Amino acid sequence: MIPAVRTSGLRKEFRLGWGRGRVLALAGLDLEVGRGEVFGLLGPNGSGKSTAMKMILGLLRPTSGLAEVCGDAAGTLAARRRIGFLPENPYFPSFLCGAELVRYYGKLTGMDGKALERRVEELLALVRLGGEAGRRPLRTYSKGMLQRIGLAGALVSDPEIVMLDEPTAGVDPAGSREIRDLIRSLKQAGKTVVFSSHLLEQVEDVADRVVILHRGEKLREGRLEELLTLTGEWQVRTAGLGEAPRRELREWLRERGAKILQEGAPRERLEEYYLRNLPEGETR
Amino acid sequence: MIRVWSWLGLVAFLVAWGGIKIPWENQMARHQRLATLGFANPTSVALREKLGQGLALAALGGFRGLAANALMLEAHGAWEKKQWVRVRSNLEMATILQPRVALFWDLASWHMAWNAAVAAENFNGEPSETRRRIEARKWVEAGRELLERGTRAVPEKSILFQRLGDLYWQRLADYQAAASCYREALTKGDAPVFLERFVGYALAKAGDREAALEYFRNLRLSLGEHPDPERKPEVLDREIRRLEREIAEQRQGRVP
Amino acid sequence: MTAAWRRIRAVAANTFLEAVRQKVFAVLLVFGLVLLGGANYFAEFSFQEQFKFLKDLGYAAISLTGLLVGLLGAAQLIPAEIERRTILTALCRPLRRWEFVVGKYLGLVALLAVMLVLMAAVFWGVLFWKELQLTGIEAGDAAAVEAIRGEARDPRLWQAFLLIAAKLFVVSGLAVFFSTVATSTTFVVAMTLMVYLIGHLQGVAREQWLESGEALGWGLRVFLAAVTLFVPDFNAYSLIDEIVAGNNLAWRATLEVLAYSVVYVGVLLVAASWVFEGRDL
Repeated sequence: MIPAVRTSGLRKEFRLGWGRGRVLALAGLDLEVGRGEVFGLLGPNGSGKSTAMKMILGLLRPTSGLAEVCGDAAGTLAARRRIGFLPENPYFPSFLCGAELVRYYGKLTGMDGKALERRVEELLALVRLGGEAGRRPLRTYSKGMLQRIGLAGALVSDPEIVMLDEPTAGVDPAGSREIRDLIRSLKQAGKTVVFSSHLLEQVEDVADRVVILHRGEKLREGRLEELLTLTGEWQVRTAGLGEAPRRELREWLRERGAKILQEGAPRERLEEYYLRNLPEGETR
Repeated sequence: MIRVWSWLGLVAFLVAWGGIKIPWENQMARHQRLATLGFANPTSVALREKLGQGLALAALGGFRGLAANALMLEAHGAWEKKQWVRVRSNLEMATILQPRVALFWDLASWHMAWNAAVAAENFNGEPSETRRRIEARKWVEAGRELLERGTRAVPEKSILFQRLGDLYWQRLADYQAAASCYREALTKGDAPVFLERFVGYALAKAGDREAALEYFRNLRLSLGEHPDPERKPEVLDREIRRLEREIAEQRQGRVP
Repeated sequence: MTAAWRRIRAVAANTFLEAVRQKVFAVLLVFGLVLLGGANYFAEFSFQEQFKFLKDLGYAAISLTGLLVGLLGAAQLIPAEIERRTILTALCRPLRRWEFVVGKYLGLVALLAVMLVLMAAVFWGVLFWKELQLTGIEAGDAAAVEAIRGEARDPRLWQAFLLIAAKLFVVSGLAVFFSTVATSTTFVVAMTLMVYLIGHLQGVAREQWLESGEALGWGLRVFLAAVTLFVPDFNAYSLIDEIVAGNNLAWRATLEVLAYSVVYVGVLLVAASWVFEGRDL
């Protein structure tokens, strides 16, 4: 099957101009994203994540190498028809309201008339910006609202592939959770999702496969399970085990040559704790 | 950054377009010169030196009309202060900026041949009447020269020919020249109706009563059986009778 | 082509809407006030002089207002979108870069056209009011009244509006071209203004370059060649002066300039699209 996204030797050098030399942003990236996968691009700031995404979208021209979207060369109309994109910290024309923005993007993808209007209503409801919120000018939107309306815009043409650049940057934990839930629902709907982040817990929650970039180079790539599983170790979590059975268990393990690496009460994640302790309805 | 080949291609495209646009622009300029008798779009760079910076910028920015009007306003102010040299230079500059505006030539010549000349005639600072008259004559000649140039710049309109005729009549007492100017004005199609009688008056004033009589008779005939009242057939009849009488008396030695 | 036109139209409509919501039309108030003020300022002059002042003032105010809106509007079209990164969410759609450029330009042109029509309406209104005022004063002189009506209701004034519009569309096209090259709005405004001013002397440069031959130094010849090849002849639009002067101007001369403008705008948009196609965002 033709992969959703494929890059081969994708390289980008930026000329600084006026004889100031060049900066290598991406050094020959090879990767494949399968259809229906959730694929994470990881790396610190400046690792080349956004550069790679922009080249796949045709917003940047590769210095060398190639990128394909479902077999079409990246940047062509056919390729761009298949992609919905949400950039990092998105800015939208502030004079538009939410519904107008989504409608505008729909028209750019060739939609029109009643079909477009229905789709706009549907998406605004999905991102909880229907009704009055959708009629407010974008300059009055909070960061989280901008992110959500951006998602609506990215999904207006019901694309096969959704690309999200740092989708949870600057968004509160509740908003982050919503975005992650949305990514899961996109996967369930059969979409391919490619997203970048340097917030690792968020990627871990949703991604099937990841690539780790550092200063334009690929360090690692693979399925999360394979990358994160510590082979040779085994973990059990119990409840209701008293002190005496614990001692017996420790002894039993030592007799069989096992080395106990860690024991103690597990910690829940701060995000779960935070959301669990907010009053009902206050998570938004 | 944009690739080098892309820039080269762009330059080549623009040069190719230049190859098309240059002859097109030349043709447009030629057509415009023909349509405006060569007086359109004065592009003398020397204008910049004569105009102030603000006016030069306005002229360069395509607001030539505003710049010329500003000069006309300055001339008006100079007229109120009787600064005739400034009046002349400002209005001449206006005619350079907009040579096809008859109003500027008209105004300039009026200020020179009438206002400045009369002021010179009555100038108390010059005790010699002869010298005052010579000075006044210079201003009248300046006005005449402006109108001569104006009629070449705007030859399709009657107004400047009419004004030139008035100048010859009222300021130079050259009634033959006045008659010629009025005749020329009448060929333009927009001359006022009364001007056709002025040709005859001028000829008569020049002493050429036969020519005046012949002119009025031809004019009266041209009005036909049912003349337009605006052309004052009764006035023509009266002039014809008067001239016939004067010519008869002249032949009898009673009228010089 | 229909799908492309729909996308262009969407970009154009968005551009127009942005300008309207940024209250660009408020500048028309200033225009209206200038014209009305000017209409009363020259009351002590003859009616011919008053109409000349009024027409020159009107056309200059229309040109200047249109120039400001076209220049600043066009200069913002692309650099501001790149700076704000709003361009990314547009160009990641199946929208060709040339469609984006053309759509932006057409949106601006639509705005200019609406403003010109409104300014023309105000201008005609002021002329009509002046006519009423002056015919009242000269009521006893039928010839003067007829002349006043002729000045105020001169149908040739429409030719002047078309020429102003054409000139503004070319200037806007220049600004759009520079905006695809530059990253700074200030640079775009400065370059366009410079070309606009030089364009009024392009005819002189052209004649000098074509006719002087070896007499000029090579540096000057290169400069004159560059001006001749790359700068529009804005002096061609000075036909407006003929109209204000009340001289007859054949429609042929106006149509020739209009055709030149249309083709020039096409060339500028092709050049802008060419540059923009290769630009990293």
